[in-house]
Amino acid sequence: MNQKLSARALARVFLRNGAFTFGGGDATTASLQRELVTHHNWLSKHQFGVCYAVSRLTPGTNLLAFCTAVGWTLLGLRGALWALLLASIPGAAVLMLMTGFYGAATGNPWLMSAIHAALAAAVGIMLAAVWALLRGPLRRSPARTVLVALPALLLSLHGVLSPLQVLALAAGFGLVAPERGAA
Amino acid sequence: MSAGLLYLLLLKATLTSFSGLSSMPIVRDELVMQYGVLTDSQLNAAVALARAAPGPFGGYVISVGYFVGGVAGGIAGWLALITPALLAIPLVHYVARSTAHPRARSLVNAVIVASAALILAATVPIAMQALGGAALIVIAAGSAVVLAVTGVDTVWVIAASGVAGLLAASLGAPL
Repeated sequence: MNQKLSARALARVFLRNGAFTFGGGDATTASLQRELVTHHNWLSKHQFGVCYAVSRLTPGTNLLAFCTAVGWTLLGLRGALWALLLASIPGAAVLMLMTGFYGAATGNPWLMSAIHAALAAAVGIMLAAVWALLRGPLRRSPARTVLVALPALLLSLHGVLSPLQVLALAAGFGLVAPERGAA
Repeated sequence: MSAGLLYLLLLKATLTSFSGLSSMPIVRDELVMQYGVLTDSQLNAAVALARAAPGPFGGYVISVGYFVGGVAGGIAGWLALITPALLAIPLVHYVARSTAHPRARSLVNAVIVASAALILAATVPIAMQALGGAALIVIAAGSAVVLAVTGVDTVWVIAASGVAGLLAASLGAPL
């Protein structure tokens, strides 16, 4: 599917992902990557990289900064505001309802079973997003990709560096050792 | 506590943090220790609720706001959550204009690869917490494969997983 980019179509994507993606900001970013880059081709991988890096540099919740950056990149200020509002309002409404009915929400085995299954699916979404982001670079220059990805993974996984520091390290590597034919 | 003050206190926490739950020490210090309008058990509940709801884990400040000030407090929490994201606009505007050079493109390509590694690193603790049984592992693996080889929307994958969870509960074996 390669639906034409419009404010309404973009709003639908953010609303859907804001309302239905469980598993936190990284799962939602992964889901948005799939929709915006892989599915609709609205955002290039290059633009995704810029928005992702910016979201890590912005204080507060990375996901909402990412959505704002994507909205700005695609549709300017209007897109940024729509993206921010639509990505946050559904989850906020659900969260307020759950807080209001705190005891009932966490004590309902049916609801919790559905949420546990949705969280498991979020893990699958994140793995699929990782594959979608790495597939191209692995094909283009496998050794270079492993050289960046493996230390980034290990340093982050073991808590040696924060995500921001990992991105800064990767950016530094890209800068001092430019990729041949970078496009 | 007024919704305005609650917004400013939560904004102070969200503006000085760089990921979902890293604002928690400030929230606890302000609302539990200094003002005494929130209990530790409510703070824990807020974090648990945010993990069970769609959206970012940082959304726990909405629950915190609700516990402190009802619906108005929840809205104050939501505003404190979204306000810092507006800072991304000047940042992305500046960064995007500076990436036409091949060296800058190489930089972004390296960041893309590193971001994939970071998403994978973030997946590990979530998977360890979320995949507590064979059925949940099958759902996660099945979702990954379906998404990798088909063009299906993620929302359908999540909806199908939710239905599977309801079915399991109806059969007396909740996931």
